[in-house]
Amino acid sequence: MLSRSAERLYWLARYLERTENIARLVSVHMNLLMDLPNGVEMGWLQLVRINALEQQFYEKYKIANERNITRFLLIDKSHTGSLFSSLSAARENIRTSRDLLPDEAWEQVNEMYLFVKNFNHTDSVYNRSNRVLLLNEILKGCQRFTGLLSGYMSHNNPYRFIRLGKNIERADMTSRILDLASLLLAESRSDEMRQYETILWVNILKSLNAQLMYRQHVRSSVNGDDVLNFLLLNANLPRSVSCCIAEIDSCINALPNSDALPEELAKLQAYVQAIDTQQTSQAQLREILDDLQNKLGELHDRISNNWFMQVVAE
Amino acid sequence: MKSIWENYNTEIAYDELMSSEFQPRQISYRLCQYLNSLNKSDIDKRKIAAELAILEMGISFTVYSDEGNIDRAWPFDIIPRIISSTEWRMIEKGLKQRLTALNCFISDVYDQQEFIKAGKMPAEIIHSSKNFRKECIGMKPRHNVWANICGTDLVRDKDGVMYVLEDNLRVPSGVSYMLENRVITKRVFPELLQDIDILPIDDYPSRLQDMLASLAPEHIVKPQIVVLTPGIYNSAYFEHAYLAQQMGAQLVEGGDLVVNDDDCVYMRTIEGLEKVDVIYRRIDDDFLDPEVFRKDSALGVPGLMRAWKAGNVSLANAPGAGVADDKVVYAYVPEMIRYYLNEEPILPNVQTYLCDNPEHLEYVLAHLPELVVKPANESGGYGMLVGPHSTTKEIAEFRKIIQQNPRNYIGQPTLSISTAPTLCKGKLEPRHIDLRPFILQGENTFVTAGGLTRVALKKGSLVVNSSQGGGSKDTWIINMELN
Repeated sequence: MLSRSAERLYWLARYLERTENIARLVSVHMNLLMDLPNGVEMGWLQLVRINALEQQFYEKYKIANERNITRFLLIDKSHTGSLFSSLSAARENIRTSRDLLPDEAWEQVNEMYLFVKNFNHTDSVYNRSNRVLLLNEILKGCQRFTGLLSGYMSHNNPYRFIRLGKNIERADMTSRILDLASLLLAESRSDEMRQYETILWVNILKSLNAQLMYRQHVRSSVNGDDVLNFLLLNANLPRSVSCCIAEIDSCINALPNSDALPEELAKLQAYVQAIDTQQTSQAQLREILDDLQNKLGELHDRISNNWFMQVVAE
Repeated sequence: MKSIWENYNTEIAYDELMSSEFQPRQISYRLCQYLNSLNKSDIDKRKIAAELAILEMGISFTVYSDEGNIDRAWPFDIIPRIISSTEWRMIEKGLKQRLTALNCFISDVYDQQEFIKAGKMPAEIIHSSKNFRKECIGMKPRHNVWANICGTDLVRDKDGVMYVLEDNLRVPSGVSYMLENRVITKRVFPELLQDIDILPIDDYPSRLQDMLASLAPEHIVKPQIVVLTPGIYNSAYFEHAYLAQQMGAQLVEGGDLVVNDDDCVYMRTIEGLEKVDVIYRRIDDDFLDPEVFRKDSALGVPGLMRAWKAGNVSLANAPGAGVADDKVVYAYVPEMIRYYLNEEPILPNVQTYLCDNPEHLEYVLAHLPELVVKPANESGGYGMLVGPHSTTKEIAEFRKIIQQNPRNYIGQPTLSISTAPTLCKGKLEPRHIDLRPFILQGENTFVTAGGLTRVALKKGSLVVNSSQGGGSKDTWIINMELN
């Protein structure tokens, strides 16, 4: 497999996972805000905050309202982190990797791209019911993509690079959503917020598709400690950080020339397993999550050096 | 309600499907019967379905323009073009004969030049051809075949005869569109394809793979085949990716390949360097190897020619094959067929005046308003003069250009190229078409069943190139014995 192709598939998967994550995040948040009273700390701006995009947002928009934020997150072409930009980047990567994937894979991504692009022409994303339609279509499309690769494609090295990219992106997103959760642990949180705490924790679970699995696994009421523990450490939940790292580990071990990476992965998994979620303060949690995000960034660099770099080396 | 055939004009040229406004030809009888059973809105629906399929399948080509490269959807007309299998068998034979003779000629050009020594062609024509590569002299590619993939353009004149317009022997494109056109037609007219016995075309990628495998250096059992593309900004990138995918071959760019000290070609993979045996290159000779051809080429692979000459890698088409893809050399193809094969040409050439020849030049300059004048070495329909469609001023300017470099120009009578019904704003109108079949030659020779029919969508236009407002149609070879 060409190094260049490996890199493109890896990024294809990252961008598609990002697309799906943005769609789910906006969709869950929209539902949450319908349940909460106006004025609680959980406004639209939180969605910008968890991706550390406040500065970029305010460079383009004056007011942090629903209209501007959904535009910024979903269809803003000039914002590289928007859903449309991520999807476009995914399409560009798959367009140049068609020789490695089943036809339907390209058609699926292209279809989603055309769908969002046509939304772009109108103001329809500001309309809530249209927005729900868009987000559902994206979520379904991303799942179809995952499903058809799993069923139509050999689980070979190209497939492993896709899984690798997907799980790094996924672990990163889970850690960012937990960042949002850290707000719920703030000492200074308002009484109103305390009153809605359970709804908010449920919402965190929902944004990672983990509510049902949590109920089955924990079998008690939803509370902060258990949710954090579940989302960081559960070995079976596909979006838990620990599960993502295990997936990355299995890909890396099956790939040729993995070098010292398996040991690095073992260290990272040990680090995650040692996180203690009991009675964590907001500051402690944020520190842990920052650290985790940095480690994921380092992991990406190692993967890139190991398999992608020889294209540039000349 | 008005018929979609209303005022259909069959007087412009030979019409492929209709013998008169109301009378379909025998080959198109079933198609017309079926079209007549649809109402206007049915037809519109099918057209929209086809456009949607093209968008979703991402069938596109890239147009170079000042605003950057734009990926455009492939313009497709849903009404197929039909040829009977009886006629097709003759054309197929003619195409095989022609490519065989052309390959004999190219081998000869880079070897003893017997054709020239026998006085069949002035040596000057070869030496002044910009596609003659002296680096190739003495090379013997596998099976002595230089042009492995050929796209030959055919047109039908008002006399109903199919003529060869040109042979594309460098990096002919279009075959992926031929294949995708059939896929779309199957989606749009499923009932119709069920009923009519149409020769299938979808074995092309496996034929291409077999042919490429037959080129591998002799001792290699399972050759590693790659498609070398100039990259995503090339107008035919879609096709490069498509063919690689269909063959299960690697799609590579110049930067993915490297020639080592052992004069072998390797590709950079996640497992290190892997040897490459056959390269289906979609890069022009000029850009292939900066060590030998253009020094500034960033698309090619330094050392590729070294590896090829050492016999460690096969290139399809072989470098230098373009020497026969020259509109002056074209004029000599009938003579090549007689000389090398001792046969009479099955497919006729269009009458061609070589401006290099003083008598011909005089004729061309005197008849510019009625001739088509083409540069010898351009493709894509650029830089040509269509006399009857040009102003006096344009003709005067072109006259100067010809006189400056007569070797580079040929003149041909303006053919009245055939038309076929094409859907224009909900109505069928005659539009001019040509046909590009694809011929593969390695150990064996193979011709596609039909080819890519290109159509000039603009009323009255004779230029079918996609870069200049042309579209395409599915091409049906219908088995007449059974129907």
